[in-house]
Amino acid sequence: MNQLIQNLVDGLGRGSIYALLALGIAVIFGVMHLVNFAHGELITVSGYLAYWMFISGVTWYLIAPAVVICAVIVSVIIEQVAFRWVRGAADFTLLLTSFGVHFVVEALFLMYVSASVKSFNRPGWIANTFSVGSVSVEIFDMVVILVTLLVLGLTALILQRTMFGLALRAAAEDFDTARLMGVKSDRVIRGAFMLSGLLAGIAGVFWLMRAGATSPGAGTTPMLKGVLAALIGGLGSLKGAVIGGFALGLAEVLLRSNLPGSVASLTDGVVFALIAVLFIFRPQGLITVSHAERV
Amino acid sequence: MLEIESLTTRYGSISALREVSMTVGSGEVIGLIGPNGAGKTTLLGSVAGLLKPASGVVRFEGDDETGSSPDQMLRRGVALVPEHRRIFTDMSVVENLKIGGVTIPAAERTGMMDEMVELFPVLKDKWTTSAGYLSGGEAQQLAIARALMSKPRLLMMDEPSLGLAPILIDVVFDLIVKLKEQGMTLLVVEQNATRMLGVSDRAYVLRSGALVAEGTGTDLLARDDLFDTFVGN
Amino acid sequence: MFRLFDRDVAFPLSGALLQFLVLVGGGLLYTAAVGGSAENLVTAMLIDAVMVVGLQIYIGNTGVLSFGHIGFGAIAGYAFAVLAIDPARKGTVIRNAPWGLDEVQLSPLLAAVVAVGVAVVIAVFIGLGLARSGAQSGAVSATVITLALLFVTHELAINWTDLTGGDRAGLSFSIGDTLQSRWPIYAVLLGALVLARLFAQSRSGRLAQAAREDDLAARAMGVNPQVQQMVALLFSVAIVATAACLRVYSVGNITPKFFFFDYTLLTLVMLIVGGRKGISGSLLGVVLITAGREITRRLGTTGYEFFGLGLDGTIANVVFREGLSDIFLGLAMLGFMILRPSGLLDDWEVDQWLFRRFGRGDDTRPEPLPETVNIEPGTLKATDLSVDFGGFRALTSASLDARSGEIVGLIGPNGAGKTTLVNVITGMVQPTEGHFGINDRDLTSAEPYVLARSGIVRTFQNLRLFSSLTVRENVEVAARVAEVHRADRVRPGVDALIAEAGLWEHRDRRASELDYGNSRRLELARAAAMSPQFLLLDEPTSGMSDAESDEMIEQVRHMAATIGAGVLVIDHDLNFITGISDRIYALDQGRIIAVGTPEEIQANPMVQSAYLGSAAPA
Repeated sequence: MNQLIQNLVDGLGRGSIYALLALGIAVIFGVMHLVNFAHGELITVSGYLAYWMFISGVTWYLIAPAVVICAVIVSVIIEQVAFRWVRGAADFTLLLTSFGVHFVVEALFLMYVSASVKSFNRPGWIANTFSVGSVSVEIFDMVVILVTLLVLGLTALILQRTMFGLALRAAAEDFDTARLMGVKSDRVIRGAFMLSGLLAGIAGVFWLMRAGATSPGAGTTPMLKGVLAALIGGLGSLKGAVIGGFALGLAEVLLRSNLPGSVASLTDGVVFALIAVLFIFRPQGLITVSHAERV
Repeated sequence: MLEIESLTTRYGSISALREVSMTVGSGEVIGLIGPNGAGKTTLLGSVAGLLKPASGVVRFEGDDETGSSPDQMLRRGVALVPEHRRIFTDMSVVENLKIGGVTIPAAERTGMMDEMVELFPVLKDKWTTSAGYLSGGEAQQLAIARALMSKPRLLMMDEPSLGLAPILIDVVFDLIVKLKEQGMTLLVVEQNATRMLGVSDRAYVLRSGALVAEGTGTDLLARDDLFDTFVGN
Repeated sequence: MFRLFDRDVAFPLSGALLQFLVLVGGGLLYTAAVGGSAENLVTAMLIDAVMVVGLQIYIGNTGVLSFGHIGFGAIAGYAFAVLAIDPARKGTVIRNAPWGLDEVQLSPLLAAVVAVGVAVVIAVFIGLGLARSGAQSGAVSATVITLALLFVTHELAINWTDLTGGDRAGLSFSIGDTLQSRWPIYAVLLGALVLARLFAQSRSGRLAQAAREDDLAARAMGVNPQVQQMVALLFSVAIVATAACLRVYSVGNITPKFFFFDYTLLTLVMLIVGGRKGISGSLLGVVLITAGREITRRLGTTGYEFFGLGLDGTIANVVFREGLSDIFLGLAMLGFMILRPSGLLDDWEVDQWLFRRFGRGDDTRPEPLPETVNIEPGTLKATDLSVDFGGFRALTSASLDARSGEIVGLIGPNGAGKTTLVNVITGMVQPTEGHFGINDRDLTSAEPYVLARSGIVRTFQNLRLFSSLTVRENVEVAARVAEVHRADRVRPGVDALIAEAGLWEHRDRRASELDYGNSRRLELARAAAMSPQFLLLDEPTSGMSDAESDEMIEQVRHMAATIGAGVLVIDHDLNFITGISDRIYALDQGRIIAVGTPEEIQANPMVQSAYLGSAAPA
């Protein structure tokens, strides 16, 4: 029982990060039908900024906001440099464009920084735990979960209450009609990339705090988790993306602690295989986005 | 108010609209009729800024607005109620109205929404309902209200009576008359030719992307040859 | 009838041979010019070419973006290495291999055969999964499923150390045991090229391409895309697996990284740069990317000394450094996706070009089609069909019948439910209530492709042609479905149909290059090639001029008489409808309000009011 509670907290902690990443991917998919395989690059670039600030002696309290801002800026730059030129292109083209961005950024770091892993110290409190009865919980997990809930709440508020949020939702449902209402395509797409970058930046802070290192390929794993979580949730659905994130986090932790020893190291493979099976039977993901059928 | 000069719009190599010229005077109700595929929707799309014309000029209140974006056209005072209504079904009624008012100052939005409630009382009861649950008639009224939120001086409507029950079609045509009385200029695409000609000051008939006739409603109704287009007797 | 020999066999064969000679000859010339140091580069290029041709068969023909093909390569590569490496060497790295595999040694040829077999068997299962998920051009689910395969094999390769030797060591051949001669590569390359070219021209290939261009239209023409995708997948995987064996055998070792993301990227970029829809394009991509990578690699390592250009200075130092070739690869993908997503050559094929230039000497205009060859009485009958779209009743208890040889019109204002009715009868929309069928055969819940094969074929209001296929290929798709599924009927010849539709001069142009009227006529010819018992035409004159509409009346009549089909035609144009129909049904608000001869319908006050919009009748 205690084990289970501990797993749940652990899983929700992981899941929080995935949910933030997945939500950012779903926001972009909504406005331009792009599955952004370059989403992880926001973490790669921010990771190097974090490393550079760390070796210059800056504290984590300053590194964290810098990472978030960096992710927002990089997100917008990537949109301007690459994605704006393929707006409205075929799915095939969009997918490969995002892969292209992914590979180019990785290669740039390989070329100009180094192939080696750059490590930095994690914040001191990160490994601390506190106990509730006989369950010991990592403070870090609790911080991640609470901050994530706060961020998700704020995002929901933005989407429900602000004009930008309305425009974003309208554009996601029917881009042409949103334009007809006076929503500016440039602005709403840029806004989507900023929001997506913001969410990735916050996830990135947690990811980097836990990893304590960065490398040219550092963004690949979080990107894959985010994409998978968004896909599990059903790509068009923002709610689904968040649910998908938590589901993926929990599934990983539960599998890792319950799979027999010889297979435990294959957790990622098993998760991937399960997702493939899910897609075979529910190609639209868990939550199907249904717009009223037009006659 | 609106002048269109030899407008041509293409989809790929296909000209959906060929050298069409027409005018809409201030305060007029203009009907645009013709069979499917005649280019009516293309014409409205080209004026609203959704489609880029290949050649020709769109002038609004004397200014050349050819190729302006929908956002610019709305700010100039031109709104379009699209075919099939295209309301945002994932959003509530009030959210649909808000997004319709994206081009006007935030301070004026609340006032406009009150006006819309006055004009379309049915919307009041459904205020926070998801627009996906509205009936056809309610959805059409929401679509028109949403377009009116931008305070247009020229309102274009594409097949507003499409798929509505007869009694609701009456509501739509009553509304056209009402808006005209309030001084609105309207350009309306309709299949329902007799009803449309009944409320229009003038009308244009399109066929295969080209203008084939124009005149007052009564003139056109009297022309048997045109009605072969629709009834074929 | 298809002149199989010259266009679909002889020319592709010569094309494959020509491609082979250019690629191999180019490689040999380069080696002769540069010296022995180029040997490995050329060998790698030839193997990559096989790999890319393998990818092309699936991705190019079906349009499904598979990220997992290199995963099949990994499976075959490991199977080959485990089976072919000598037991003495295996004893040092994989002493505890399962199933006593450490004791086994097969000849390289036999090992490759088994390895390819293993990969193909796994491909069958993956293919079934892809079919279940509804894979089609651009489907994300298919990309995820194949990506999962790549990752799962990678994880297994890293973790199943008893079999794979793990992450660091991997498996390697003893020195001297590796591939010494290039002949096996030549043989496999030629075989792969021949297979790929023949497949593209084959029935399976054409039908897969049709589904790539427009999944729905292909289904409406009786194509079941899942079958063709499976065939393409198995051929494709067989070639990819063979290439993987060659790659492992020629390099002499395999590690988990060997067939993973980097190689996926490399081969995908090669595939898309030249043009994924054709073999010529794919091979051009292989050559360009190999050359580009080699140049950038050298520029990156030897920097400013390269080519003796003596480049120096800050900019040169910044640009020419290690990793340049990776940047090149990523930028190539990005650049082509942004600037030219269909690649340099798109689907251009050298043999088809030769055919158009030289192969058409006796290409005379075919004789006009004789009238009525199929006299097969039948009745298409729909009873009480109703359709609800989330509360909106698009169709209410509509019943109609049409007999073979008869032309039945369906009129009504916009939104009356005409297209919905056609959608139901062609299986694209499921009715909420009611049923329909031909004679006594109920077809109510049949798939669109089953209905098409049963003799109900439609055209589309918004034109759904296979846009990057030629006019002739469009018609051929339907003819090749009919060849198998409508075999009992006399079928009109492809060329004759094209000529009949007035498209003879345009027969080798892409469908996307046709104007509106010609596109409509092509859609009609394509539908007729299915030799349907009932032809459903959704607004065949929409967008046509009056003169063209009048011509269309004759064309539809003649086409129907030729194939002996009954016709159900929707149109807005009452001139057209009354001119062509024997009987007319009038719809309004989802209900059938009148039925009768054209004269009766025109005189019917309910119809007039529905159209003219006077007060609605009670």
